[in-house]
Amino acid sequence: MNENTDRLPRDCVEISGQVEFHVRAGAEFADTFPGSTFTYDQHSLEAPACSLVTVVFENRDEVRHQWMVHGLPRYLYPGGMFHIEANGGETVEGSFIVPSDRQSYLVHCDLTQHMEKGMKAQLLVAGGSGDLWSVPGVSGDFYPAEYPAGALAGWIPVILLVALLGASILLRRN
Amino acid sequence: MRHRALAWITLGVALIGVALSMPPAWYPAKTRLLLSTWFGTPGYTSPPATLEPAAETPEAFCPETALDASDEWRNAQEIDGVSLEPVSTCLADNPYAVAAFVRGTNQVSAETLAKSGLTADAVEKGRDLDGDGDPDEIHIRLEVAELNGASPESRELMARYDLAPGIHPGFWVFAPKLAGMATENFESTRARNLLRLPSPAIRVELGDRVRITLENGHYMPHTIHLHGADHPFVDVSGEGNDGVPIASEMPVMPGGARTYELTPRNTGTKFYHCHVQPHVHVMMGLQGLFIIEEDRPNNWLQTLNPGAGQVRAPSAAVREQYDREYDLHYTDVDAELNVRIQQHTDPRVVTQSMHRDYDSTDATADYFALNGRSFPYTFRESLVVVAAEERVLMRTVNGGRDAIALHTHGHTVTVTHRDGVEVPEVARERRDVVSIAPAQRLDLALATSNDGQGAYGPGIWLFHDHGNRAVTSDGIGPGGHISAIVYQQYLADSGRPRTQGVSLDNYFTEAYYARRTPVWQSYAPQRLGQAGADRGLQVRLLLVALFMGLALAAAWALVSAKPKS
Repeated sequence: MNENTDRLPRDCVEISGQVEFHVRAGAEFADTFPGSTFTYDQHSLEAPACSLVTVVFENRDEVRHQWMVHGLPRYLYPGGMFHIEANGGETVEGSFIVPSDRQSYLVHCDLTQHMEKGMKAQLLVAGGSGDLWSVPGVSGDFYPAEYPAGALAGWIPVILLVALLGASILLRRN
Repeated sequence: MRHRALAWITLGVALIGVALSMPPAWYPAKTRLLLSTWFGTPGYTSPPATLEPAAETPEAFCPETALDASDEWRNAQEIDGVSLEPVSTCLADNPYAVAAFVRGTNQVSAETLAKSGLTADAVEKGRDLDGDGDPDEIHIRLEVAELNGASPESRELMARYDLAPGIHPGFWVFAPKLAGMATENFESTRARNLLRLPSPAIRVELGDRVRITLENGHYMPHTIHLHGADHPFVDVSGEGNDGVPIASEMPVMPGGARTYELTPRNTGTKFYHCHVQPHVHVMMGLQGLFIIEEDRPNNWLQTLNPGAGQVRAPSAAVREQYDREYDLHYTDVDAELNVRIQQHTDPRVVTQSMHRDYDSTDATADYFALNGRSFPYTFRESLVVVAAEERVLMRTVNGGRDAIALHTHGHTVTVTHRDGVEVPEVARERRDVVSIAPAQRLDLALATSNDGQGAYGPGIWLFHDHGNRAVTSDGIGPGGHISAIVYQQYLADSGRPRTQGVSLDNYFTEAYYARRTPVWQSYAPQRLGQAGADRGLQVRLLLVALFMGLALAAAWALVSAKPKS
């Protein structure tokens, strides 16, 4: 998990404050986002610089899920990672101290295809450095999925015909 | 009038130009013979020279940095009281995971569990119900992992797994329950070594109370069907237990879990697989060996054998009869199916693509794997390593679409069990080709006494499907599930077989399987190498195009010009 409640990042002189998030995870939250399978109930979390962040992670599914942050200082967090893993039905809690930089950290579940199918969020420290890609409800996909144009496609010849007719009438008037 | 004349002259010149610049070989044979009687045979022009191919750097035979290629993992060792046999091939299973599968992930030390990478409930072993010194309550938890899948953020494949150099179709597998990340680390997209093809071989003992929980963390519904293993249609609570959505129960939906129960009353090599849309899901990799071992005292089984292959802790009954044991799981891949999870990310679109757009009645296999690898990677880990005067058990299953005609060089094998049922002694015969129908299991006994019948002596003896498609990867040979029976003295310490034929380096490049390398490049680079381009032909074609354009323009001018009245 790499929990850390007392060792300060080098750029912090003290813990500036505490924030706590109760994050729920599971397939049930994916219904809000068509085309996803698993997700969290919160996708963009904000924490002040140098704050102690506590995450209560409630897994509502019957399979494993993770709430994993990447990009933290490696001298405090092996692999640059703080991570909570909860078996199906479990609630697991953990805390860590964030550095002072304005930074948007990736939060995800690293089981295969969980992030790709919606289990992705961001932790914005000191306001963050912009939104990450593909965060459900927050940002778009870099490679958006392709869907059929649907009924509109059948109307394209009609639209073209009308456009041509209109153009020819205009040309005649002139 | 002058314009018309000019157009006619241009047309004539252009047509003569077309005729003269055309490659002579395009003329009818009779015309060419006639021309040769007038002008003599054409002079010699040198054909294009052989091209020097781009230099390819082959991968190392044994990956140099891989932990699974290190002696630490390959050596014979004892971990938490579990004795593990050494691995002579270059790659080995994580010995801590193997020890945890034998002792139970709930029984091993915290250090072993951490080094195994497994969760504490991955394989739980409980009470010894019959007091014979081994646990009889076994609870296995399996997840579903997707290898080489797509991402909405990147064109890289997620949880990358290579069948052979440059070959990475998408796969679904049942996987042991792993703690932490699915990839080697945050910087890598490569799957951890326990996330692999095929799904692990499962071993339980006759009479064990076995529970298998499928924790479906995949985005599609799945089940487990225990093919050939004695299990009730419903469990004690009346819940379906056969894993068949159209007959016994609802499938396990994404995020859900279900426990299958069995207390097997017969032994043998069985099978397990997903039974949801099985024509697609089984072929995607959701299938594994399921072995029910005979009951013996102190019989601590290696409950899971990741990626099949060598059994590092064989059962007591196997050790009574055999010196070594190998699980050989054959699969094949229709690239047109497996690519679909790489083309789409929205699960609804993936579902449509795989289950409605794809027509499995048109399927043809393109790739062939033994224990999750195609040649040359089979030579890293899927060899059957033997010594003289040994008896070796090879438990084979054909998980592919078509029957396999498995041929062993230098040896004959005896089928002792078919589909887990013993073949009577009188009906047993030595064969150098055995047919394995799809889903069929054959237990093959190999005796390495150099008697000219069972074995012809030490060497590196191939074994492969003799229906020769399967010795290729998408038609490029050697590939597919070629592997070999290798005698210990023909194996270097690194695990590399001391082959005496052509260099294997070409086969360890992506270029070879991408059809960019001439097949005999390593030893006939000139005479049978890549012929260069015909520059003369290029010039002639260019001239033909120019003259034809000119002819068309002249013809158009003639047709469109108004004749003077």
